[in-house]
Amino acid sequence: MSLCQNRLQEERKQWRKDHPFGFYARPQKNAQGVLDLKVWECGIPGKANTIWEGGLFKLVVTFPDEYPTKPPKCKFHPPLFHPNVYPSGTVCLSILNEEEAWKPAITIKQILLGVQDLLDDPNPESPAQAEAYNMFKKDRAEYERRIKRVVRENAAP
Amino acid sequence: MEPLPLPTSLAEVEVLIKELYRPFQQDVARIQDVLHRLQKSPEGWQLAQTLISHQEDEIRFFAALTLMIKLNRDSASLSEDDAKGLLESIINWTIQSLNDGAGAIVTRKLCSALVTYFVHFSHLWPSCVRHFIYCLDLGRGTRADSLDDALTTSILVEKLDCQKLKVAVWFASTLVEEVGKTDMNSAAYLELHGRLVKNGSDIVCLLARSLAPPTENSATKIQTDALSCYLAWILYAQRASSNTDLLVTPLRQLVDLAIQCFADEDLLHATAEVFSDVLSNYSSFFTEEHYSSLAALFDSQWAAQHYQQLIQGNHAEDGISFGLLMLAYGDARVQELMKATDDRSRRFMASLSGLLAANGYLVGEDAIFVPALEFWLTFIETMIDTSYSDDESETRVWKPYAEEHLKAVVLNCWRKVQWPPAEVFAEWDLQERVSFGDARKDVADMLQSVFTLEGLSFISYFTNLFLQSLAAQSWAELEATAFCLSSLSDCISEDDKYDGELSKVFASGLFDLLGEAQGPIPLRLRQTALSLIERYCDYFERHSEFLPNALNLLFAAVGDPVLGGPAARSISTLCSSCRSILTGEAGAFINHYQTIRERQVLDSLAEEKIILAIASVIQSIPDENQRLPTFEELYTVLKKDLQLAVQLKAQPEILNLSHPAFLRGLDPPNPQQPPSAEEISLQIALRSTRCLASMAKGMQDVKEYPVDLESDPQDRPLNSKLSTLQSDIMSVLIDIQRSFSTSGEVIEIICNIFRAGFSETEPGPFIFPASVITDYFVQQPFETPRMGALLSTACSFVGSLYRGPTAYVPSQLARLLPWVVNLLHTLSIPENDTEISQNGICFVDKVMSKYPEVLFQLQPSQHLEFFFLFTIKVLQGKEPLPKAAAADFWSNFISLKPTDPSLAPTVANAMNHLGPLIAQTLISNIGGNAARSELDKLSEPLKKLVTQQVRAQAWLEAALSDESGAFPAAERVSVAERWAFVKKVVALRGQRQTNQVVRDFWLLCRGSSFAYVS
Repeated sequence: MSLCQNRLQEERKQWRKDHPFGFYARPQKNAQGVLDLKVWECGIPGKANTIWEGGLFKLVVTFPDEYPTKPPKCKFHPPLFHPNVYPSGTVCLSILNEEEAWKPAITIKQILLGVQDLLDDPNPESPAQAEAYNMFKKDRAEYERRIKRVVRENAAP
Repeated sequence: MEPLPLPTSLAEVEVLIKELYRPFQQDVARIQDVLHRLQKSPEGWQLAQTLISHQEDEIRFFAALTLMIKLNRDSASLSEDDAKGLLESIINWTIQSLNDGAGAIVTRKLCSALVTYFVHFSHLWPSCVRHFIYCLDLGRGTRADSLDDALTTSILVEKLDCQKLKVAVWFASTLVEEVGKTDMNSAAYLELHGRLVKNGSDIVCLLARSLAPPTENSATKIQTDALSCYLAWILYAQRASSNTDLLVTPLRQLVDLAIQCFADEDLLHATAEVFSDVLSNYSSFFTEEHYSSLAALFDSQWAAQHYQQLIQGNHAEDGISFGLLMLAYGDARVQELMKATDDRSRRFMASLSGLLAANGYLVGEDAIFVPALEFWLTFIETMIDTSYSDDESETRVWKPYAEEHLKAVVLNCWRKVQWPPAEVFAEWDLQERVSFGDARKDVADMLQSVFTLEGLSFISYFTNLFLQSLAAQSWAELEATAFCLSSLSDCISEDDKYDGELSKVFASGLFDLLGEAQGPIPLRLRQTALSLIERYCDYFERHSEFLPNALNLLFAAVGDPVLGGPAARSISTLCSSCRSILTGEAGAFINHYQTIRERQVLDSLAEEKIILAIASVIQSIPDENQRLPTFEELYTVLKKDLQLAVQLKAQPEILNLSHPAFLRGLDPPNPQQPPSAEEISLQIALRSTRCLASMAKGMQDVKEYPVDLESDPQDRPLNSKLSTLQSDIMSVLIDIQRSFSTSGEVIEIICNIFRAGFSETEPGPFIFPASVITDYFVQQPFETPRMGALLSTACSFVGSLYRGPTAYVPSQLARLLPWVVNLLHTLSIPENDTEISQNGICFVDKVMSKYPEVLFQLQPSQHLEFFFLFTIKVLQGKEPLPKAAAADFWSNFISLKPTDPSLAPTVANAMNHLGPLIAQTLISNIGGNAARSELDKLSEPLKKLVTQQVRAQAWLEAALSDESGAFPAAERVSVAERWAFVKKVVALRGQRQTNQVVRDFWLLCRGSSFAYVS
C-alpha cells in the first residue's frame, strides 16, 4: 500500500479511537460501496459559547496522492459564509498551505480542530471572500446576525 | 519580579528545595530559577554528591535530578577516569537508596540518572544491564570493566532478591524508553542504539526471571513492571528492525511466559494490554506457534469465564481489556479468520459477533460495542476486497461461513441501535446522547458495506423484519428497522426488484397509523418514518401512487415543534424531485399551507422550505394559463405580508399582537419583552421577502433549453399576465426597500431573488426583462446598504446577459458602467470597502472582456482615466481580494485585442500611457511589497506584459532603476541582479516558470529571513 493509503488507514484508526466531541469524519464510499480513503466527509461543530454554537458544518477533505507530504484540501459544502472561506467553499488556513505551516505530522484531528478554531477567530490577514470579510470588518453586528442565520440553516441534529 | 539571590549555604539550599516541593507553593517559578542556576553552575556536581545521602526523599530526588542535568550539560568536560568513577558512584548511591529504605521516587530517579549516563557514555558502559545486575548482586558499584570473571547473567539474575530485581526492571524500562527517544537514524546516536541492542540477551534473562510467578512470598509484585518493560522492548525492537537476531528472536522466547501471566487475575489488565498493543501495532512479532497458543487460550474455560463476565458485566468498573484483546487478535488475524472453516475459529468468530450483544445501552453502559463494530467493519472491508480479487472457487468455500457471522453481526447491531425508553434517555447526559447517535452512524456505515456483499437479499431481510415488527407493534424494533432501511437508501439503484421490496414498506399499515392524530406511534418512530420517506424520494417519483399519502403525512407534521423542520425538508425534497407528477396537487398544497398558517406561526426556515416546495410544483405546470394563476395565488399570500410590513412601519399604532399576521414578526417566537413595532415590521418584511426568494428559487426550471444567441428578444412577447406579475413583484420589492432602507438584509434578499432569475432561459415571474434590472441598479445611490453585494449581483447579471441573445447587451452595459464607475469614484479610497472595490473592478473587467468599445466610450472621459488610476492604486495596496481583481483586470487589459479596428489606436495609446505605471506597480510588488500568496496572481500581468508589449523590457528596467522608492529593494539588490531578473522574465516569454523566477526575485528583495522554516 502507498504511504498515503497507509497513513490514511492509520488516521482512520486513530480517529475512531479518539475524536473530539461533536465532530465526525469518515471516508466516502464510491459507487460500488468500496471506501475511498482519499475523500473524507467531516462535520465541524461550532464552538460552545461562540456565535457558531449549535451549528454543524459539513466539510469535504480531499487528500492528494502526495499526502502527507502535501496537505489535504478542505472544502465546506455548501460554501460557508466566512472571511477565510473562498466562494467555492475551500478553506484558507495556514496549516493547510504547503508553503506555510503544513507539516506531515499534522493529523486530521488537528486539522478539524484548526478549522473549528478558525470559525470564531477569522484571520483578517488572508481574506478569501469579499462578502464575509468586508462585513466582518465594517459591520460586526450585521456579521453576527448573518452567522446566526448560517448556524440555524446548518443546525446540529 | 526580582530573581531570588543564590543561597550561600547548604542549609539554605535544603530550605529552598523543601519550599519548591511544598504543596500550594506560589513562588515556584522563582525558586526553580535560583535552584536551576545552582544546578548549572560548576558546583552542581558537588551539590548533587553532598545531597544524595540526605535522609529526606525530596532532597535526594533533587540531587538525582541535579546529576541528570549535569550529565546532560557538562558530560564533555569529564575526563574518562572521572566518568568511570562517576558511574561507580551513581550505582553505589542507587544500591544505598535501596538498602536504607529511601522512597521509590529516589531509586527510580537514580535509575534515570544511570540511563542518562548511558546515553552520554555508552562506550564506557556497553554491557550496562549485565553490569548493573552484577553490582546489584554484589551490593555495591564496581568499575564497568570488572565483568570478566562474573557469573552468567541468568545466574546473577537468579541470585537477586525481589527488591533488587525490581530496581533492575525499572532500570531496563527507563533505558529502552529514554534511548528510544533519541533519533535512531541520526549518525550521532547510531552507536548508542547499537550498544543498547547488544544488551538484548541480558534483558531476556532479566525478564525471564521477573515475568515468572514469584517463588518467594513477596508483597512486591514485579510482574506488572516486567510486563510493561517487556512491551517497551518489543516496540523498540520493531523500530530497530535491522537487528532481528539480536533483539526480536530473544524477545520472542518470552511470549509463552507472558501468556502464563494471564493466569494471575491481578495481572489480567497489564498482560492484555501488552498483547493487545503488540497485536495491533506489531502483529508480525508473534509466530504461528504463538498465534496457536493464543487461539487455544481463547478456546479455554478461563476465556469462557472472562467472556461471560464481559458480556454480562459492568464495563465501567471491570474494564473491557479482555474484549479488546480478543478484538486485537481478530484484527491481526482477520484474513485467516475470514477464510477459516474449522470449529475453533468459528467459535472464536461467534464470540466476536457476540461482543456486539453485551448487556447495557450504547455507549454509556456498553463500552465494547464501538471497538467491536470497528473490528467488524474491517472484517467486512476485507471480505469485499477479497471477494473481488480472489479465486471464485476458493471464495465459495469460506464465504457461507463468513456470511453466517455477518448475520449475527447485523442482528446484534439492529438490537443495539434501538432507542431506550424515553425515561432512560432523559437521564443521559449530552455526551452519552451524542455517542449513541455516533454509534448509530457507525452501524449505518457497516450496513452499507454489507449491502455491497449481499444486495437485494439484504433489503428483503429488513423489509421482512419491518413487517414483523409492525405486526407485533414493537415500536422500538420498527424504528430500528426503518433506520437501517433508510441508511441503505443511497445504495439502492433504480430497479424493479428493489422497488418491489420497498413497496412492502410504503404500502404497509404504518403510514396509515402515522396519519392518525392521536395514534399509538411514538415520536422517534414518527421522525424516522418521515425521514425514510425523504430518503427514498426517487422511489416515490417512480411510484406516484404512494406520493399523495406521504405528502399528506408530511404536511400534517409541519406544525410539530420537533418534526416540523425535518418534515418541511422532506416536503421540499419530494416536491422538487417529483414536481411533474404533483402539478395537479399545487392548489391543494397552497390550501394546506394557508391552513397551517392560520393555525400557528411556522418556524421561518420550515416555511421557506414549504414555499420552495410548492413553487417547484407550480413551476412544473405545463400550461401557462394555469401556471400563472396558481403562482399568483401563492404570491398573493406573501404579498399581503409584505404590504402589512410596509404599513406597520408607517403606522406603528396598528400593531396588534393578538393577530397571527403580526406574530410572524416575533423572532425569537416568544420574546421576554415584546419588541417595538418597528422591529416587528422589519422581521415580517425579512421573513416574507425570504419566502419570496424561496419562491423564486422554487420557480427555477430543472430542465435545460437551447439558447439562440442571435435571436431578437422582442420576437417573443411576454404573456400579459406574466408582465403584470413581474411589475407587481418589482414594485413590491421597491416598496419594501424604500420602507426598510437601512436594512442590508433586505438588499441581500432582493439580490438573491434577482440571481434566481439570472440562470433561467425561459420566461417566468422572476425572470425580469434586462432593462428592468438595469433600471433598478442604476437608481441605487452609493448610500444603499450592502452596495458590495449589489455590485456582485450586477456582475452575475452581466454574466447572464452574455448567455442570452446579444442584441441589447451593449445598451445595458452602457447604462450600468457609468453607475459602477461613479460608485468607485464616490468610494475614492479602495480600502474603505473592499467588496465594492473588488466587485466594481470585476464588473468593468467583465465589460471590457467582451465589449471594450463600451468601456472606451465611457463619458466623461476623465471617468475612464479615474478608473485606470484607481485600479493601479488597488494593485499597489494591501487588500488581497481587490488586488487580485486588479491583477486580473490588468492582465486582460494588456492583452486586449479589440475586434473593432477603429478602437486599436485608442487602446495602444492608453497602453503607452499606462505601461510604465503598470510596470512600476508590478515591480514595487514583486520587489518585496506584495505578500507571498499574491505572487502567482501578480505574475499574470507581468507575463502578459512581456509577451504582448514590445516596450515591456524598457518599462520594467526603468521601474527597477527608480531610486525614488518605486523599487523597494534598491539597497539590497544589485543592479546586475535586477537586470538578470528582467532578462529571465523576458526570455521566458510568459511561460509558467516565470512564477518561480518572480518568487526567487521577491525572496531576494525581501532578504532570506522571509523563507519559511519548517
